[in-house]
Amino acid sequence: MISRVEAPPHLTTDRQAQRYNDIRELLPDPDHPTPLVRVNRVAAGTTLYLKLEWLNPFGSIKDRTAVYLLDGLQARGELGDRELVEASSGNTAIALAALAALNGTKLTVTIPEGVPEEKKVVLRMLGAEVWETPDDLCPVDHPKDGAIALARSLAAGQGGVRYVMPNQYENPDNVAAHYETTGPEIWRQTEGRVRAFFAGFGTCGTITGVGRYLKEQDPTIKIVAIEPQQGHRLPGLKSFGEAKQPGILDWSVIDDVVRVDDPAAYDMTKRLWREEALMVGPSTGAIVHAAAGYGLDPDEVAVGVSPDSGLKYTSYFAELLGEEGLPQL
Amino acid sequence: MTTQINVTESLDTSGVLCPLPVYKAALVLKRLQPGQVLELTCTDPGSLADIPAMARQRGDTLLKTDDRGETQVFWIEKGTSS
Repeated sequence: MISRVEAPPHLTTDRQAQRYNDIRELLPDPDHPTPLVRVNRVAAGTTLYLKLEWLNPFGSIKDRTAVYLLDGLQARGELGDRELVEASSGNTAIALAALAALNGTKLTVTIPEGVPEEKKVVLRMLGAEVWETPDDLCPVDHPKDGAIALARSLAAGQGGVRYVMPNQYENPDNVAAHYETTGPEIWRQTEGRVRAFFAGFGTCGTITGVGRYLKEQDPTIKIVAIEPQQGHRLPGLKSFGEAKQPGILDWSVIDDVVRVDDPAAYDMTKRLWREEALMVGPSTGAIVHAAAGYGLDPDEVAVGVSPDSGLKYTSYFAELLGEEGLPQL
Repeated sequence: MTTQINVTESLDTSGVLCPLPVYKAALVLKRLQPGQVLELTCTDPGSLADIPAMARQRGDTLLKTDDRGETQVFWIEKGTSS
């Protein structure tokens, strides 16, 4: 009689074999970074790499932020049985919603008006409640920051017992996520040769965390921030002409600010899709436009962040394209 | 002689801080018909500035404000273009 060997109840996680027992195990760290991919055509004469943050498990650079925000709340005993409320243009909320779903925690998101429908649907699919908020909701006290003000007032209501707000704009855990993961990844992936780093102004967790880490390795590395125009349509980015500067922004690590308008950002986004086959979102277009025109030396390694993919912005792109790509009979 | 205001719907946002009263009021006004009236009760003193500004921005008419110290009551008539 042939005896059967009892199979183990499940296979163990093996990152080498790309086999995981929990989606959270795909979150990046310096030993398992997101890819750096060179931009070969649209930034001719440069050595520019994009860090493809949309290959994170929940689709954006904010996966890193969300896990640090939640871990911080739990470590400080601030979450407990409370619900989460957060203001987000979508990506942090999506990552928080995914992690909250795994945790059995309810999430309410206050999201600025005008964020693409795709993001709102993704959030609702993940079980989050979405409160779309005009920027000028509180016209007297909170011009252009209505979603943040609304999340704050929800968190403060009912004596603060129902909700806790991670508050990515003021929470140092947001900076720590990038100081401890994104920054070291870039340093290692470029073998310490990175000379310039480009990222957008948003919550400022990325630019502050990565900037601080890279400056500690070599203070001569240039940290360049990208700021959109006022009234822009580049979700995730903020113009400080109309929005409050986040408390976590550390100007001391920033060498330069490049302003990019919407047409330039969208034109570069289209070129990245068509010339590099990089299906990125519009904030990546803004970042690459800034880097391509920055006057980098050809052999100077530069890294730009690609925060998310363009698949969450197809309704925006449909407007951009108009009749382009349709048969003209 | 005072004119009678016919209230269509009442909303009490007592204990809630701005901008939540504005947000909730806007949601109710959205489902009202032009000419219908929302009676809104607030306790956040900021409402005295924010609610008139909201009504102006939305194209609604603030018929009356009653500042009772601890509470503020607003009567807002939905506009034709809001």
